[in-house]
Amino acid sequence: MSATNIRAQLSDSISAVLSNKIAGRELRWYLSGWRLGIILLVVCIILPFVLDGIDPSLVTTSIAIGTYIILALGLNIVVGYAGLLDLGYVAFFVIGSYTVAVGTYGFLQNAQGKSIPIPSFSGQLFWLLIPLAALLACLFGILLGAPTLRLRGDYLAIVTLGFGEIVPIVFQNVPWFFGQFGMSASPPPDVGPITFSDPLNQYPFYYLTLALVVLVILGVTSLRGSSIGRAWIAIREDETAASVAGVNLVRTKLMAFGLGALVGGIGGALNAAFVSSIAPSDFNFNISITILIMIVLGGLGSIPGVIVGAIVLRFVDVYLLGKINDAVHGLPLVSGSGAPLHFLNNVDFNTAKFLIYGLILMFMILLRPQGLIPDVRRKRELQGIGASAEGASAVGLLEREEAGEDEAGGETTTVGAGSDAQGRED
Amino acid sequence: MLTLASVFAANSSSSNIFLQQIENGITLGAMYALVALGYTLVYGIIELINFAHGDIFMWGTVITFIVVQMMGLNHPLSGFALVGVLLLLIIIGMAVSAFLNAGLERVAYRRLRKAPRLAPLIAAIGASFILETIVQLWRGTNFYAFPDIFPHGGFTIFGARVNYLDIFIVVLAVAMMYGLARFINTTKLGRAMRATAQDPEAAALMGVNINRTISITFLIGGALAGAAAVVYNMYIGQVWYLTGFQLGLIAFTAAVLGGIGNIYGAVFGGFLIGLIQSLAIQFIPGGFQWSLAVVFAVLVLILVFRPSGLLGQQVPDKV
Repeated sequence: MSATNIRAQLSDSISAVLSNKIAGRELRWYLSGWRLGIILLVVCIILPFVLDGIDPSLVTTSIAIGTYIILALGLNIVVGYAGLLDLGYVAFFVIGSYTVAVGTYGFLQNAQGKSIPIPSFSGQLFWLLIPLAALLACLFGILLGAPTLRLRGDYLAIVTLGFGEIVPIVFQNVPWFFGQFGMSASPPPDVGPITFSDPLNQYPFYYLTLALVVLVILGVTSLRGSSIGRAWIAIREDETAASVAGVNLVRTKLMAFGLGALVGGIGGALNAAFVSSIAPSDFNFNISITILIMIVLGGLGSIPGVIVGAIVLRFVDVYLLGKINDAVHGLPLVSGSGAPLHFLNNVDFNTAKFLIYGLILMFMILLRPQGLIPDVRRKRELQGIGASAEGASAVGLLEREEAGEDEAGGETTTVGAGSDAQGRED
Repeated sequence: MLTLASVFAANSSSSNIFLQQIENGITLGAMYALVALGYTLVYGIIELINFAHGDIFMWGTVITFIVVQMMGLNHPLSGFALVGVLLLLIIIGMAVSAFLNAGLERVAYRRLRKAPRLAPLIAAIGASFILETIVQLWRGTNFYAFPDIFPHGGFTIFGARVNYLDIFIVVLAVAMMYGLARFINTTKLGRAMRATAQDPEAAALMGVNINRTISITFLIGGALAGAAAVVYNMYIGQVWYLTGFQLGLIAFTAAVLGGIGNIYGAVFGGFLIGLIQSLAIQFIPGGFQWSLAVVFAVLVLILVFRPSGLLGQQVPDKV
């Protein structure tokens, strides 16, 4: 009668549905691997037409979500794959954003406060700015990483935090970038009949975002399976063992940092082109943490998890909280000056989101550290079981022998039992 | 950091700017050292960067501010009233921060003691967000001016103005550090703390109650932050929900600078960072805007070239 019972029934019925045959193949086959990817891509292509029908602002929301999917996937390379905690990821977002702004604005400001014209990436040259932003961010990632990656994990976290705080201060305080007022960036140029500068038609921007998101997903997926991806996972799991096995620690970590920063630069470029006006105060520690929370919520190292985390949090942030604010403040019990729940009028639910973020971080780490959609490998690691592919580490084998099970299916139960025992010890 | 501008401007009548900034730096440094001790004690014993420590400190500033507001104080006190109010504020501030800090350890960090290294740090970041946002929802994003309760006045030596408040701050901080050092080096509990820091399992086998020792470490760290909070309120005079973030980072830098885990290092690092900051503000063009960047630059340089900190190796007495 318990929750486990219900869960078992649910998974039975889902598995029954998945076993239905369509054109000689089980439904399960269609919903796995690259076929699922294609299905989701088609859904994403149709999506704006559906969203437009529900609420046109949802299309804009999806673009904002897309930017954060890119950022979250980029940070996931550093935190999820390589296990390096980067608390200053916003720095690369800033660098990407300012690259596009400087590249399209046509002016810089000298120390005397005078605007001086500079050549700009006008017309179709704009498209060069996206790879340029990525490369510049990557360069800074390597510059930051080279001296600091020898540090222990928690020290690295604080140093990156410092970097994330310093970069916006630099853009604010050095001449050239118009200080606290920031700069504006042009939208992408028209390509044939497609125009990006029409605020009433966000479809082109949506598809541009979608294209970049798909590109990044393909990139991080292939990175994961590559030799460098396996090296990242090796150093995440055991640095000493990885280094003994011949992984060059500094170079491997530097690759993670550089590639993570590169993806952050792409996100920044997209952001600048979309919001069209950027200022140093837009970029702060909260952004770094928001992206980190997306990853922790979805599942460190898990690409679908990270995407879902980004979608959920960003949707709540840019769309749902505003709606909740309006709805609550508009309630008859709240809106009038003498209404019984009038105090709620002063509660800004956009502020409350940071409370929710904090709670998500705490509870996920305490209760479900593997995230909503866990990465299989990462999950084993967090449960303290040897993390090799077949669960064949000494600990895993011993536990299985003790439990008298040799079937692969028995492994998961032992894992559960092992972690339970650990829980009780605490 | 804007808040420092007003404090330093009040002293600008002095004739020797360099000595004046040294004096300011020492006062600031005493405050940083108190907070840095909390980082270093906790890191020394469970190797956790208690990211929420700055916000624990901020809670001390907010609660003592509310107490002063409720008492309706708004002018400098003297005599017994001053002593009584200061004692009350320090006790309340220390109690609030100490119990918050220990409570956080009990609720979150204790469960994560065997988790991967970064898990408790992420939990601490979450705690920091929660503590900040509660104050933000409760008090708003305004700066509140802490009433001027400490008597004005002071004297001038070698062209540098020394306020009585500055002397009070430094004396209080030094007294607390002395008390802490005595506690750790001479009492039974202090010995338990040192043993736990060195090897928790061996300490447990020798009969040390690890959980209680760690709780006490968090209590002491929090209490020092609470004392610093009272001092901060009187010195800087502005109560704000994000105070803890910046001050926490500066204090953490101080702890690392001196060699994290080493209590003498934290004190030394606190004073050094105070001096670096006050001199940077004065002698770097546009110094106020850059002062936080300077602190971080120091942190990065120290970590890269001497990760064990300045005193990390000379004084092996690790807590």
